Amino acid sequence: MKNKKNTLKMTVYASLFAALTAAGAFISIPIGPVPIVLQNIFVLLAGLILGSRWGLASVGVYLLMGACGFPVFAGGTGGIGRLLGPTGGYLLGYIPCVFITGLISEKLSKKIPLILSNIIAMIPGTIIVYLAGVSWLKIVTNMEWTKVFALGVYPFIIGDILKIIAASFAAKIIGKK
Amino acid sequence: MGRLTLFSYKSSNSFLHNLDTRCKLIVLSFLSISILKADFTALIIITIIILGFLASEDIKLISLLKQIKYFILLLFFIFIARAVSTNGDSLFVLSWISFTKQGVIEGVRVCWKFFIIMVMGILFSCSTKPSYLKCAAQWFLRPIPFIPEKRISIMISLFLRFFPLILKQVNNVLDAQKTRCSELQKNPIKKIINVSLPVLKKIFQCADNLAISMEARCYSENRTEPEFIKSGQEKNVYIATIVLSSIMFAF
Repeated sequence: MKNKKNTLKMTVYASLFAALTAAGAFISIPIGPVPIVLQNIFVLLAGLILGSRWGLASVGVYLLMGACGFPVFAGGTGGIGRLLGPTGGYLLGYIPCVFITGLISEKLSKKIPLILSNIIAMIPGTIIVYLAGVSWLKIVTNMEWTKVFALGVYPFIIGDILKIIAASFAAKIIGKK
Repeated sequence: MGRLTLFSYKSSNSFLHNLDTRCKLIVLSFLSISILKADFTALIIITIIILGFLASEDIKLISLLKQIKYFILLLFFIFIARAVSTNGDSLFVLSWISFTKQGVIEGVRVCWKFFIIMVMGILFSCSTKPSYLKCAAQWFLRPIPFIPEKRISIMISLFLRFFPLILKQVNNVLDAQKTRCSELQKNPIKKIINVSLPVLKKIFQCADNLAISMEARCYSENRTEPEFIKSGQEKNVYIATIVLSSIMFAF
């Protein structure tokens, strides 16, 4: 990442991941009644593939675009109101999430097999997103903790486990190139 | 892309369109934050102002509500949560859940605030060209240390380039799969793999090509400085914003 050529390439890739994250909020894969939204899988992938620093840049640009009113958040919405709104905690939680995921995968990937290290790196990242999202939801809606967890965590856990597995394989395939 | 229409730029010659983008961004963030402190009197005032701007931008309220229907559903959940969880005088009881008077008032207030913030964001994106937005973002990031504002500005323009491209590629691949009878494939995991891998491959190839061609054209971060066009109304807008914000904090 020292020379100029790599900087340009990483800039392009970081923007690509920001755009993928934004597109992930739009594209839902219809399997069964509940469609899967791909927003957070790309945040995790950005951490794994780009590393902590460029992953952070990618998520930063994504959130900056959202804050400026570009429709990049789930359901085709945007604006600073969405960041301050009830689900804003999940979005702001992406910032520490991508950094930690990138950091752990950078440290671990040389010691243990790639897929395993990917999975280990993504679990704390996902937990951070939930922590940030749930505590913000709690502040905004003023609900009890049990209710907040029932609305903001439990429905998504199975989906997220599947996403982590899928992302670890996808990161391996993309990383090879 | 059809779903993007309302939030994208609409060309016109209105008051909002002619304002300096930086001014619009400052006012937007300032109002978004101060509205969190607002009470009903201030909310009514700002709603009237925003309805006026919506009319001047020629946006129909009904089509706007249709576009943000998922957001409204979310607001409805927040309203219910507030109405049930706040303690106070019981208003009416629905089977076993009791709605309190204070809770309903509180719920209406919170949802109203979020709705106004949302509509302000829509007004902003309708009246601002993405390229101006990029310039304004670069201008604001300049004084912050350790942030390479020019690189971020390049990333924003790349982002704007990639975003529609990805949506188009996904539609292409989905259509291609359909012509090859992908409907007959019952295994959902295979279905996902069949769509996602070609899309990712195509997009990453695109990014590779773009990086190579940018390099071949000696693309660097030394770009022409952006220029801003002022309409001359900025000072009045700032004064109006300060007055409005102080109303919100006072009432």
